[in-house]
Amino acid sequence: MKSLRHLLEYQLLRLALAFIDKLSLDGAYRLARGLGGLWWQIDRDRRRVSYENIRGSGIETESSRAILLSRKAAEHFAMIVIESLKSAEILDGDHWREHVRLDISPDVMAVLDDPGRALIMASGHFGNWEMAAQVLSRFKPVAGITRRMNNPRVEELLRQIKPRYRFHPIPKYDADPTRLLAVLEKHEILALLTDQHASSGGVPIEFFGRPAATYTTAAMLHLVTRTPLCFAACRRLGPMRFELETSPLIDHRPSGDKRSDVRAIFATLNAHLEDVIRRDPDQYAWGHRRWR
Amino acid sequence: MSDESIISKLRDILRESSAEERDWNRLDGGTTIQSLGIDSLTILDLLYDIDQVFGITLEAAEVIDIVTLGEIAALLKQRGA
Repeated sequence: MKSLRHLLEYQLLRLALAFIDKLSLDGAYRLARGLGGLWWQIDRDRRRVSYENIRGSGIETESSRAILLSRKAAEHFAMIVIESLKSAEILDGDHWREHVRLDISPDVMAVLDDPGRALIMASGHFGNWEMAAQVLSRFKPVAGITRRMNNPRVEELLRQIKPRYRFHPIPKYDADPTRLLAVLEKHEILALLTDQHASSGGVPIEFFGRPAATYTTAAMLHLVTRTPLCFAACRRLGPMRFELETSPLIDHRPSGDKRSDVRAIFATLNAHLEDVIRRDPDQYAWGHRRWR
Repeated sequence: MSDESIISKLRDILRESSAEERDWNRLDGGTTIQSLGIDSLTILDLLYDIDQVFGITLEAAEVIDIVTLGEIAALLKQRGA
């Protein structure tokens, strides 16, 4: 029964992909906004979480504005999917430079240009994080933790069609620190989304003024390996136009108080994430349960 | 520093950072990291504490294949502990 369902999902996805492939960019974006809006209408639980997160963060406290922002964020998420499927068209060769503006701190650029240095790049579910990874992989190979699709047929299909360039996914179930240390040892970029709820082993860290359980991996890897660390975000400027920005390098030496070190690093990372979200709040994935 | 002194310091680090009840004095060079209930995340905590106590920052490549406390001790000795 399960394999039949997987086959059906796979065939439906292939049909959808063939349809999207025929669409113009403008048409694909209109479709994404429509589907995102529809999904927002149907998924009541996600809608409620998104609305509560927006109000709880203080980004938008007025009810009707919070509802509107929640819907826009759902549309944005659908647009990310379309952009990922269409990204091969703009990431081919050197064309990406016409579509992606770089605002990279000079000290981060020095690390990217140095084949002998690794980089830990922290980000959140803001803008188009997949695009960020693909663009960064033009400088150095990038490894990031990804969740596998439940349907193996769909997983394989997406693996074939989505351009990766030098991005190497590390399956979430296999993302132990020795795998991550191996990435740093190869002087590659380790890209980590640090705004996911930490179900176990996390530390409560303030995010928009409220404690949120946070995985400490990015901070701990920086503290124990001294690998340069920065924040990065890739905002959408327009249809298939993006800006990839980074913070300057964050250099925090261990003080002997581990918890305090981790908190200090995340205070900086979260301040950068909050800043980009405040500038473009509709480009954040408000629907994930960050505060539980 | 002798191997036993290094192991002794490692015991102290583990005793202080672990919430687990066990006879820490029984730990020796052959004790595997895995048997101590140190999961993949807390290995980073252990490396942090080693850095603080011994003043030695281990390289990523050095710690990837470590299995036992004795191997950590040997590594630390090699690095001047």
